[in-house]
Amino acid sequence: MAMVVDYQHDLSFPYWTSTRRRFDPDSPFFSSGNIERELLAKQVALDLTEDERNQLEKMVAKDARGVFCPIVGCGARLISLEDFEDHYNARHTASCSVCSRVYPTSHLLSIHVSEAHDSFFQAKVARGYAVYECLVEGCGLKFKSYKGRQQHLVDKHKFPTSFEFFKKALPSKKQRQKNHRKQAMHKKDEEASSKMEVENETMDGLVSAVSKLSTSDSSPSTVSFGRRHTRGLTFVPRSVQHEKRADFRLAGAKR
Amino acid sequence: MADDSPASHRRDPIKSSVGNVAAQRRRQNAVTVGKERRESLVRAKRLCRVGPSADGDVPVEGNDMITDEEEFLLEAQTSSAVEDLKSTVAYQGKGAMQKRVNALRELRRLLSKSEFPPIEAALKAGAIPLLVQCLSFGSQDEQLLEAAWCLTNIAAGKPEETKALLPALPLLIAHLGEKSSLPVAEQCAWALGNVAGEGEELRNVLLSQGALPPLARMMLPNKGSTVRTAAWALSNLIKGPDPKAATELIRVDGVLDAILRHLRKSDEELATEVAWVVVYLSALSNFATGVLVKTDVLHLLVERLATSNSLQLLIPVLRSLGNLVAGDSHTTSTILVPGLEITDGVIKVLVKCLKSEHRVLKKEASWVLSNIAAGSVEHKQLIYSSEAVPLLLHLLSTAPFDIRKEVAYVLGNLCVAPTGGDGKPNLIQEHLVSLVQRGCLSGFIDLVRSADVEAARLGLQFMELVLRGMPSGEGPKLVEREDGIDAMERYQFHENEDLRNMANGLVDKYFGEDYGVDE
Repeated sequence: MAMVVDYQHDLSFPYWTSTRRRFDPDSPFFSSGNIERELLAKQVALDLTEDERNQLEKMVAKDARGVFCPIVGCGARLISLEDFEDHYNARHTASCSVCSRVYPTSHLLSIHVSEAHDSFFQAKVARGYAVYECLVEGCGLKFKSYKGRQQHLVDKHKFPTSFEFFKKALPSKKQRQKNHRKQAMHKKDEEASSKMEVENETMDGLVSAVSKLSTSDSSPSTVSFGRRHTRGLTFVPRSVQHEKRADFRLAGAKR
Repeated sequence: MADDSPASHRRDPIKSSVGNVAAQRRRQNAVTVGKERRESLVRAKRLCRVGPSADGDVPVEGNDMITDEEEFLLEAQTSSAVEDLKSTVAYQGKGAMQKRVNALRELRRLLSKSEFPPIEAALKAGAIPLLVQCLSFGSQDEQLLEAAWCLTNIAAGKPEETKALLPALPLLIAHLGEKSSLPVAEQCAWALGNVAGEGEELRNVLLSQGALPPLARMMLPNKGSTVRTAAWALSNLIKGPDPKAATELIRVDGVLDAILRHLRKSDEELATEVAWVVVYLSALSNFATGVLVKTDVLHLLVERLATSNSLQLLIPVLRSLGNLVAGDSHTTSTILVPGLEITDGVIKVLVKCLKSEHRVLKKEASWVLSNIAAGSVEHKQLIYSSEAVPLLLHLLSTAPFDIRKEVAYVLGNLCVAPTGGDGKPNLIQEHLVSLVQRGCLSGFIDLVRSADVEAARLGLQFMELVLRGMPSGEGPKLVEREDGIDAMERYQFHENEDLRNMANGLVDKYFGEDYGVDE
């Protein structure tokens, strides 16, 4: 006997419900069968070559008016859903070979690599050079600090104030357990000069602002770039406890 | 059919095509022919190239690549044939009838020679009024037949060409009558089938002119090509979108009986056309569906699905079954009760379709299964324990997208209990656990990655079931292992707000701050 599990649900998620689905005879759902009907009926007098069959299938696919890439700001037109997968992998996944974070463009990836993994970059920062590049392609302005760039993005390019280019990655399980222990012991022992300046205030702002984002401007509505490919806390959880998070340092930054 | 290229509206036949220009024009022509050919192939209209008596006096040409010169010649011949016809129609003297028939025959041959008859030339030369005259009452059968044949092929063309038949319609309908000879009635039915296949507007004209009852009566005999042609024409006539015609058809005396008889006993070709009639009856008219399910039609459809290997027949039979199941919950709840022989029979033939190599059968069989799986818990158990599940799991990872989407519906429906009155989403853990253990999760996560909103939604909904319903909190780990988090993260920059919220919601809830901490 199948077990039926009861669950207390919250109303915001549209749960799977099993319902009957009916289609009108002219629904696109039936179009491949309809086309097959006519082809079979006329094939008696005709010789459909393999090529023509393929053309016809493409014609059906085109009838579905192709597909537009749904990633905000992309709008690329693709012939089929299969094409979309190729397109997405080519255009919207650029991953860092050092830390596996994934970025939607190679421009952002290269900025990340400099800022997160390049010690020369850090050296220049320490010497006061303006090396933090603006994220918007074509702008070209550079800044001396992460925060400075941040401000520029907000002021000049209308990024949401809670935007964060560099997100803390979730450390490995071992590291997490270590951090928890450490946290318990060294609660006040904060390292003053974090190279990744994620301010507490920004973090607060981030947490509350994430839910208020919209896609009215051209910048992506959600703020988390640089998510790790295999592990994923890209979305800042609404219930996040930011004090804990502020203490998490990227293990990689210290290497 | 005239050259569609905008550059040369009028072709100059005296100059011979030379070199590059000619080659280019031929290529252009080939593209046009290619497109036209494809469109003509998928149209619901059918050319008549061989007569009812299969007279072998016209070789049916297979090669559709006629040159500019040949095309021009054909058009010229057509125009002159129409001119001939005009004079024979005017002529009242001795042997007038024979002359008329000869002229009609000549025109008919020109209109039947190739895949692309010179319809436009015929219309321009004024063929229609002449053909209408040739259909007048009391005319000889041969004359009626040839005239109707010409009209059939004219109606098989482009929309405006089909519409040109309007003046002829009342006469064509009249000659469907029981006093007409069978070949004449059949040819008129064919012409009307092409007209009906054009679109809703013309269908409505035909219906208001009373085309339905005589065509319906032509379906009553046990066999013959006339029955088949009439069934085909009817399927075009009732295809809606207005359900009125479908409802009217099932009410005609003797039609229901004839449909069942043909489904039960007739040869596959005839059964195919009748099955298409059932497709439209069941898709459009609730009344017709109600009438049909009270008969043994489901049994007949199952029989055909079990015994036939003709794709042409299987498609409409499967779809009829699907429509009857989808159209009325009564079908699943009262007729396809688990435990009954008919229900086992239905599952069995659906499994057979899943095993087929044909895409349409796999997709639509999955659709039907998903609707049965939307029934009671007993229905879900029945499908779950059948041969269908291993096939579905395999299809979920290997089949083309449209099939995978339908399969997803079946599997997901197996995992949730029928929606109770209070709308609580309860799941059937036994089924969920088993299906996930058998590896279906990655297939659903693949759907999340697709650009299709409906598929992504399904994938996310299934992921929610896994995250919530897998015992011992295994869900999040399983999802992570299959790169589910990555798939959900795509929605950060996605345009669709619903999907963004769904994905966000799941990540927030199950992959939050404390994820993986207490291990």
